[in-house]
Amino acid sequence: MPEALLPSARINLERATVLVLDDNGASLDILSQVVSGFGVKQLYRAETVADAQALIRTKTFDLIVSDVQMPVTDGIEFIEWLRREGGETNRYIPVILLTGHTRTSQIFKLRDAGSNYVVAKPLTPKVLLERIFWVAREERQFIECDSFIGPDRRFKHEGPPPGTDGRRKDDLPAEVGDAQTPNMSDDEIANLMRPAKVQI
Amino acid sequence: MTVRKFRPPNRLASLIKDKGGILAKDAVAAAEAGVETLRESSMAALDEALGEIDRRFGKAAPDRASENAEALYLLASRVIDVSLFVSDAGIDKAAMSLCGLADSCAAAGAWRWDAVDVHLNAMKLLRAHGAELPGEQRDAMLQGLYQVSHYKPEEG
Repeated sequence: MPEALLPSARINLERATVLVLDDNGASLDILSQVVSGFGVKQLYRAETVADAQALIRTKTFDLIVSDVQMPVTDGIEFIEWLRREGGETNRYIPVILLTGHTRTSQIFKLRDAGSNYVVAKPLTPKVLLERIFWVAREERQFIECDSFIGPDRRFKHEGPPPGTDGRRKDDLPAEVGDAQTPNMSDDEIANLMRPAKVQI
Repeated sequence: MTVRKFRPPNRLASLIKDKGGILAKDAVAAAEAGVETLRESSMAALDEALGEIDRRFGKAAPDRASENAEALYLLASRVIDVSLFVSDAGIDKAAMSLCGLADSCAAAGAWRWDAVDVHLNAMKLLRAHGAELPGEQRDAMLQGLYQVSHYKPEEG
């Protein structure tokens, strides 16, 4: 997991090209102000998925922040399109989805859309910056298969669910088993860590 | 099924580390200052959405039975969108509860007007006095709305 964003951390988004998408003009204004405040100079706004798709076809973006609930085509369908048809320069970029409420029927769709993070509305600058920092620093693998394209959804790898063997090839059994060798001595452990003074 | 696992280059990761830039706390402060300039227009958009909800779905709306739940869902979503400046009044949470109610009405294909009326009355009260209410009372009201919106008659 990436480390948390500290107030004293330095970030530079001046050269980042960001697309913001929301069908509600007032909400898009808020989002644009927030992202501009972070220092983004190349900010593109779209009020419909069709407009966003047109921009994706002609420009290279470094981040997309999109609303979920939109008429005609929603944010979930947009991200699914992006991950499959967004072109090689854009289809793997970080995406943050924003939603005020998730319909019961869309919970799994939202999880499987392929976004990097979902942020709850009403949007606050602090939370959005923390999530941008998070997606910039995360090291999740991308998964691409017939039914899903996006960052690995199982980023909290805490082993297989209790009582199962897991589905990953590298899943280890929950039971650790008996020790095969005697416990290491303190010296052996210290040697593994090799603490040493350094001159700074 | 073939599954491909890989790490695509993350341009944002390298850009954000570029020399220069600003402190995170200054970025948040600049964003908050920018958003503050939108207070008036956001509040106007909020009141417009609340007004439209009342006109179309309030007790006095003559044709509310012919409206569809999707329209109410979208209007309640609009309230959440611009409720940043009134989150201390609890309107965002009441609107979330209304979204849940509209979603369940849409799924059931039937309105629950009593529940809609309770939400609309609560949102009017929260808009007018929500921020001044004692926190416990406001939380109790929001909890009540949540229970109303998630009530399933078959579960009693």
